[in-house]
Amino acid sequence: MPRIEKREVEFEGQVTEREIIVEEEGIAPWDEGAQLRVVGQPARRVDGPARVTGQAVYTTDLRLPGQLTAKLLRSPHSHARIVSIDSSAAESLPGVHLVWHREHLPPIVYFDGRELFPIELAYEGAEVALVVAEDESAAEEALAAIDVSYEKLPFVEDLDAALAEDAPPALLGTDDNRINPQGQVYERGDFDQGWEEAEVTVVFSFVTPNAAHSALEPHATVARWEGNELTVWESTQGVFSVRSELAEALDIPYDRVRVICDYMGGAFGAKQRPGRHSILAALAARATGRPVRLVLSRREEQLVSGYRPASKQTVRIGAREDGTLTAIEHRAWQHMGAFGHRGYVVVGPSRELYACPNVRTVMQGVRANMDRGRAFRAPGYVEGTFALECAMDVLAQRLEIDPLELRLRNYAETDPSRGQAYTRKGLREAYEIGAQRSGWRDRHEVPREDGPWRRGWGMASQIWGGGGGPPANAIVKLLPDGTVEVLVGVQDIGTGTRTALAQIAAEELGLPLTGVRVVLGDTLPAPYGPTSAGSQTLASAGPVVRAAARACLRDMFDLAGQMLGIEDADDEAFFVEDGDLVYGPDPEVRVEFVDVAAKVDGYTLVGDGARGPNPEGKRVNTFGAQFAQVAVNVDTGQVQVLKVVAVHDVGRVVNPMTASNQVYGGIIQGLGLSRMEARIVDSETGLQLTSNLETYKVPTIMDVPEIEVSFIDRADAEANSIGAKGVGEPPIIPTPAAVANAVSDAIGVRITDLPMTPRRILDAISGREAGE
Amino acid sequence: MKRFAYARASTVEGAVQALGDSCRPLAGGTDLIGLMKKGLLAPERVVSLKGIPALRGIERDEDGWRMGALTTLSDLTERYDGVMDRELGVLSQAALESASPQLRHAATLGGNLMQRPRCWYFRNPLTHCWLKGGDHCFAAVGKNAHHAILGADTCHIVHPSDPAVALLALDAEVEVVGPEGSRRIGLGEFFAEPQRGARSETVLGADELITEVFVPGPPAGAQGVYVKVTERASWDFALVSAAVQIEISDDEVEAVRVVLGGVASMPWRAREAEGLLRGKALTAERIEEAATASSAGAAPLSDNGYKVRLVEGAVGEALRRLKRA
Repeated sequence: MPRIEKREVEFEGQVTEREIIVEEEGIAPWDEGAQLRVVGQPARRVDGPARVTGQAVYTTDLRLPGQLTAKLLRSPHSHARIVSIDSSAAESLPGVHLVWHREHLPPIVYFDGRELFPIELAYEGAEVALVVAEDESAAEEALAAIDVSYEKLPFVEDLDAALAEDAPPALLGTDDNRINPQGQVYERGDFDQGWEEAEVTVVFSFVTPNAAHSALEPHATVARWEGNELTVWESTQGVFSVRSELAEALDIPYDRVRVICDYMGGAFGAKQRPGRHSILAALAARATGRPVRLVLSRREEQLVSGYRPASKQTVRIGAREDGTLTAIEHRAWQHMGAFGHRGYVVVGPSRELYACPNVRTVMQGVRANMDRGRAFRAPGYVEGTFALECAMDVLAQRLEIDPLELRLRNYAETDPSRGQAYTRKGLREAYEIGAQRSGWRDRHEVPREDGPWRRGWGMASQIWGGGGGPPANAIVKLLPDGTVEVLVGVQDIGTGTRTALAQIAAEELGLPLTGVRVVLGDTLPAPYGPTSAGSQTLASAGPVVRAAARACLRDMFDLAGQMLGIEDADDEAFFVEDGDLVYGPDPEVRVEFVDVAAKVDGYTLVGDGARGPNPEGKRVNTFGAQFAQVAVNVDTGQVQVLKVVAVHDVGRVVNPMTASNQVYGGIIQGLGLSRMEARIVDSETGLQLTSNLETYKVPTIMDVPEIEVSFIDRADAEANSIGAKGVGEPPIIPTPAAVANAVSDAIGVRITDLPMTPRRILDAISGREAGE
Repeated sequence: MKRFAYARASTVEGAVQALGDSCRPLAGGTDLIGLMKKGLLAPERVVSLKGIPALRGIERDEDGWRMGALTTLSDLTERYDGVMDRELGVLSQAALESASPQLRHAATLGGNLMQRPRCWYFRNPLTHCWLKGGDHCFAAVGKNAHHAILGADTCHIVHPSDPAVALLALDAEVEVVGPEGSRRIGLGEFFAEPQRGARSETVLGADELITEVFVPGPPAGAQGVYVKVTERASWDFALVSAAVQIEISDDEVEAVRVVLGGVASMPWRAREAEGLLRGKALTAERIEEAATASSAGAAPLSDNGYKVRLVEGAVGEALRRLKRA
């Protein structure tokens, strides 16, 4: 029975206490010794052929009969006020159905707490007008025909400008660009005393850039009304959050809104909620009586679809001569954009990674004239780990202790931030395996110089959540031919969720993978599933699919008992084996799975499952370590990452193939942030100079080094019934720190700013030569 | 994109007649289409050159190499016949370092010489910079890490072509046809610093067309190397590049051309470095001296001082490779 409980809930490094509904799953977890057939085996994606042959329909592929095209006019200024808009010429163009702006407003005026078409445009690319037309070129012509007069306002383009003494406000009506002027302060022990006790201290400042998510598929909505029922196809990480937010905004019942995201071309955190494009498409479809498609261009995607907030950080670490940490202070400022919140937990790693008694962290969100900073794959932790783990390397150097040894000396056996035990922590093993595979201990025997090239090694640690939790539900339906449908409310954002969930259902039901169809990314047939964020999808939905399959199986066992003439058989007495339902006390007594299904015939046997609670008073975390080897050319500043060895502890690995994919992807994205990715803004105009994939550089395959992946593949049976945790975010967390440590090891100069372009490398070397 | 008329030319004469002030020739289209999509160019007519057989083909005669303007960059890298590889090695390397395989299959040699700069102010439709007829260069005080350190006055663009740098090292000439007939221009004179009144990177008239690139037959034993430094390993424009073409006999540098890319509005000859090498043995000391001299005259902006060091690094690397060869 579901019950209401107050529980600690972890999401992206924030722990909050909330009332949630929990329900016991009532099944024994697959522990370390569990003999599994399908789970844990490498499985090709069940939808792989559909994806690679182009049969998979993504939101941007949809073309509905009678569909119209919507496009947005966006602000050409980083901060401006609208003086006047004249859209009469645009409205009279052939093929134009509708033009909305602040002088011709849509039926609702506010969305997400803000005006849809405000008079103040607080960032380049802010929405000025919407055009709906027969096709793309008619819509473009109409956009060009709208006459807008703007009054330019002073702007702040980056953290330095926003925090300057006499900075103009990023948003009119505010008098401080600091979103929380006092900062979010965390303190344990007594930092000042720990600092006094330190025999060696390190103080370093770090800078990380605004980084665009750059998903292959842009933000996109296709909206269609049939009577008073709305169907929205949305490229999203959370079909249920899109449904509830659209229904609330439109003031219609939830059951009139269906949200679909069958296939998804990447998100990385930027698509957790519906956007202004989503609500405008829905409103325009209702106003025109025709389906409306609104797909952002690549320029819009890079310009206004969210970014990892730039950070400035200062880390102070104190330690004794033997390497024991006595004090850590971590201060962070984040560039949250014009409408951002207080910020992501950049200082999380400093609170959680090491057993240090005296820790003080201070975080502050800062407003600047850019679109809203958004969660981007392990938000905060990538940046914070870069700062902390680089500072730890500097400390190791000062102490003349091996960087890995320094980390081991401060290993946290229990969570130092809350004093709680971990369900499992395999970081020590990850360090050891990583050291072995990367040749860490023999690195001093390898020649470090080859002409202008210098070789270097670096490593870094990772901590993150990924334990998932309730609420999440699933339904398993048995079909008369012995196949099953799994209905689950999550979405596969490209990570392989569909395949992993099929493996779990197949495992529990004793079926081959081909006997299971997973239906996801659709709010109509499925019960609730969480947003795919915080690496919570598998650990939330996996146990639920297993519980639903088990519920279905229990009914089948009951029927099997009746078919076999066993009186009053306890359904726990049965098990599945080789496609049979077997009676435990006498394994000769068995009936084929398909025969039971055939018996069911027209009756639909349905099993449902809900996510049980996470263990109380314990922390469920993922851990890992990465070891990077680089070569740096001291004449040209080129950095070649030669190899990255990654070892992560994410509990049981359900599918080694898709899990490895996640690690490759995380590392490559981390290398992008390390070496080339940055939104660059002109200080004279406040305009972004990188709103395309030429100047906003993401890595090509030629930038990808040898990557060696391994897992501490051991069930975390205390965490949940499948023993698995999330793997989406962990692998990007340590990459920039490991690479930066390797670069500094190679050239003997600390690089503190990302990305590490040839310019930064050469400037650092020149700075050292000049004695700076 | 603004509507335009489309014409197909089948002869060079026909193409020249069809050209004019608001017309643009179209070959691979890898730059033209992008400029038109951004609204930076809005020609009334686009004249396709693709159907002109006379613009195709690579030939070696007794004077040297003739490469039709429609030669693609991948033709330069893939049509190795041994001789071309040996004699035009620096050009093949430069072509191979350009863009991506998809782009190299489409992009032509003529178009590559005529491509507009990648300056992010020039390419941004929202900034009316000097090169587009505005009153100042945004890069002069703006984000200029990728901009010029040599020869820049009003405008701080760099020329984006890799092959152009190699071709200048090979002393190439460009055959141009216009209403008045044809003329041949040395590549060093073909490019021009954008000037008030002619905010353009070349001397080519609006009604003129490149038909051929000519490379005088390099003497036997001449060798070339192209070194390109980028932020990303592939599909990236040069921060700095260096093309060095050299003839060595009896351990002495008989002739040498050192040309830099990514530093000026045109491929830039490092004449001081050339002077230091000519007539001397290619020793490690000489290489270092020449590398240091190759950035002579550099006047960096706020963010691109690193390019001075980078030029020296790239030239040093090219010379060391030639010494080893």
